Amino acid sequence: MIAAGLLLAFSAVAFGKAHTSATPTINYVEGTAPDYLDPQLGYTTQAWEVHWLTNIGLYTYAHANGQAGTKLIPGIAKAQPHVSADGKTYTVQVRSGLKYSDGTPVKAEDFAYSIERAIKLGWGGKSFYTGYIVGADAFDKGKAKSISGIKTSGSTITIKLTTAYGAFENVLALPPSGFVPSGTAMKNLSSSPPPGFGPYKIDKVVPNKSFSVDLNPNYTPIAGVPKGKANISVKIAATTQTEAESVLNNSADVFDWGDQVPPSLLSQVKAKAASRYKLEPTISTFYFFMNTQTKPFNNQLAREAVNYAIDRRAISRLNGGNFIPTCWFLPDGMVGHTNAKCPYGDPNKAPQLAKAKALVKQAGLVGTPVTVWGQDRSPRKEFVDYYAGVLKSLGFKVTEKIISSAQYWATIGNAKTPNVQTGFADWNQDFPHPADFYFLAESKSIQPLNNENFSMIKDSYIDKTVARLGKYGGSKLSSVAGSWAKLEQYTAKKAYYANYGQQEVPLFTSSKIDFGKVIFTPVYGTDWSSLSVK
Amino acid sequence: MSSDAIGTGFSADPSELRATHEVEHPAGIGPYRLAWRRLRRNRIALAFGALFVVLVLLCLLAPVYASEIAHTGPNVNHITDQVHVGGKLKDVVSLEGVPIGPTWHGRFFLGADSNGRDVAVRLLYGGRNSLEVGAVATLITIILATILGTVAGFFRGWVDGIIARVLDVIWAYPVILLGVALGVALAVGGLNLGVFKLQGNSLMVPAAIIGFVYVPYVAKPIRAQVLGLREKEFVDAARTQGLSPLRIMVEEILPNVASTIIVFVPLIVANSILTEAGLSYLGAGVQPPNPSWGTMIGDGIRLIPSAIHLTIVPGLMLVLTILGINVFGDGVRDALDPRAKVRIER
Repeated sequence: MIAAGLLLAFSAVAFGKAHTSATPTINYVEGTAPDYLDPQLGYTTQAWEVHWLTNIGLYTYAHANGQAGTKLIPGIAKAQPHVSADGKTYTVQVRSGLKYSDGTPVKAEDFAYSIERAIKLGWGGKSFYTGYIVGADAFDKGKAKSISGIKTSGSTITIKLTTAYGAFENVLALPPSGFVPSGTAMKNLSSSPPPGFGPYKIDKVVPNKSFSVDLNPNYTPIAGVPKGKANISVKIAATTQTEAESVLNNSADVFDWGDQVPPSLLSQVKAKAASRYKLEPTISTFYFFMNTQTKPFNNQLAREAVNYAIDRRAISRLNGGNFIPTCWFLPDGMVGHTNAKCPYGDPNKAPQLAKAKALVKQAGLVGTPVTVWGQDRSPRKEFVDYYAGVLKSLGFKVTEKIISSAQYWATIGNAKTPNVQTGFADWNQDFPHPADFYFLAESKSIQPLNNENFSMIKDSYIDKTVARLGKYGGSKLSSVAGSWAKLEQYTAKKAYYANYGQQEVPLFTSSKIDFGKVIFTPVYGTDWSSLSVK
Repeated sequence: MSSDAIGTGFSADPSELRATHEVEHPAGIGPYRLAWRRLRRNRIALAFGALFVVLVLLCLLAPVYASEIAHTGPNVNHITDQVHVGGKLKDVVSLEGVPIGPTWHGRFFLGADSNGRDVAVRLLYGGRNSLEVGAVATLITIILATILGTVAGFFRGWVDGIIARVLDVIWAYPVILLGVALGVALAVGGLNLGVFKLQGNSLMVPAAIIGFVYVPYVAKPIRAQVLGLREKEFVDAARTQGLSPLRIMVEEILPNVASTIIVFVPLIVANSILTEAGLSYLGAGVQPPNPSWGTMIGDGIRLIPSAIHLTIVPGLMLVLTILGINVFGDGVRDALDPRAKVRIER
């Protein structure tokens, strides 16, 4: 009896081993670790590329390349939400029979708990909830024990909003809106992330060094979200140089798309790994902000001069050639992006420096002191070095302030910081909706701390238009694409920003990976569930 | 002389001692003339001193080189420009962002950096900045350290207690750490001490920081020497004659610590230049777009595999300059006081 038992146990172990070894492991390298591996805290591309596979929420995005990858699809929800006529009430039905990675059943109540957890933990984007869901702000301030605007009855969730918000369906698809079981500790669980619903689960975390994203055995596939094909072992590389070298020489399999291949290795990569390297555009915009409330950029002529003067081709070279030169705020791939002629000349051609100088002279601003702000991180520092040179050539008296990347946004976003006149800024989409970009230009975004409207734009036309168009989301968004494009042309003519590029990022793998099958979504980049071994 | 107090080699034979003394101190020759005689005999020190002078001259001629040979300024970007090299037209910065290497011609003689700026021009202007910071920092250190060290050593008591403890506190912080903390803080807001104001990007900010952090390294030895000197007969004589403490310090004590101060000058210059390079490399020294050898090394780091000249060239200049000052400084020390051993311990 004992012998039979031992034999059975041995067989089970042996079978288990054989089963495990059948699942390939792909080695993924990142230059930067995710900020948090807790789904309700992560707010970087490195975190979200994992969490959208491990902690699906009511909605998620199609696993597809290009524009198709921006399509919202039901996740834990059964179907698209029912939205009331005034756009303020969302009713969602939850699927039944789903399980978390630890086997716990997924319940509709977990939605409210997950949102409350993101607010309680202080997720950086919690204003997406507190600014729109009834009672979320009171919960955040400790005035309520739960969010009054979220009600659950059986498998039905009703969410009431304070105001119609077209992009709210996208908010429900954000990784921090991903489900975790009710009762999950209200503390940062990055070193041992909570279970979630999705094709993968996070495992074996060594903070800032490595973690695993393994196939979730309890995942019940839902339409549009495929099962993964391999376990992913993630390692944090010391530098992007070692990161790129390891993929180039096949000692690692995937280069993180959030990093750039160093210029020094680019020619080697293009020569030796042409079949496993390409650039993919991201939904991002890089620009120099110009404070419209103080001299000299309170003068439209000065702002126009900057737009005429900057050589967008030059800045692309500083970025290793990984920019699509542009003068528009909304990037290609975003609803509202326009292909109209740039008002400041072709961004792929030489700038109009003489015209720019004449504008500054005409405005009587020659010799005006300008402080230019930038980050110490390369190549952003080089962008600002270049920009400072351009401003000097226009006749401004330029002072450059390069500060630590870690302190940069808080410093320039603080109303008490003196002389925040112009400098580097960029934006990567939180979700594919133009309102996610245009909130940077709304006057209500101006805050004494953590301000993101760096140009300090106070334009009632922009405010009214964004409020009106922002009500359209989901399938209705494309119906107002023309209106967004019109707003885009208005903003460009006002020269509130000096936009110069849309970032392209590398899709770069080892020769072990089936490169042709790798999906690159415009929302979360490399789709890990599409990674497979040849 | 102070060197008497430091002396270690006594001979048992008085005649031998007398002979040695006569060789070292020939009758009728002043101590500084004697030191100059000794220094002239030290060919290696003189050669390195000459090297340092040549480097300084080269850096001082930076504007001439920029306008007459390179035809560009230190902060002028040439990212999309092209230059003729060996009969071919080449991008100053390639489409992938890799800058051109040395052309060995007037333009981009030592190549370009990632912003297409002429490395040779920036190297010379960077040298000016590094030397300027080093010189001003040394001046600050020497002046403050001499005042504090002399006052503390002369008055002793509570004055010495306060000054010595303040110096201990500064001494306790690693130089680079203290420099980075001050540099980062001052880079944003500058320095505003009422009458004394400095912009955040002024070269005087790193100079003031470096000058400040090295004060204890010079003030402490001066204080120790003054503590000994104040007990000497000539100081007692001055007191008896009714001289004020200020006059005694200036007229009696200072001339006797002058050789120590002189020995410290090259050491502090060398250390200041090195510290400036370190701080600038870490972003807390000379602020961009102004070049310095430290910022140039920092900027070139990410391009080492494809454009190693960006780090090698300023690194080499730094090594040669420090070597020049240090070897010459050692020669000066040996000339002034062959038996003294002065070095900055960090």
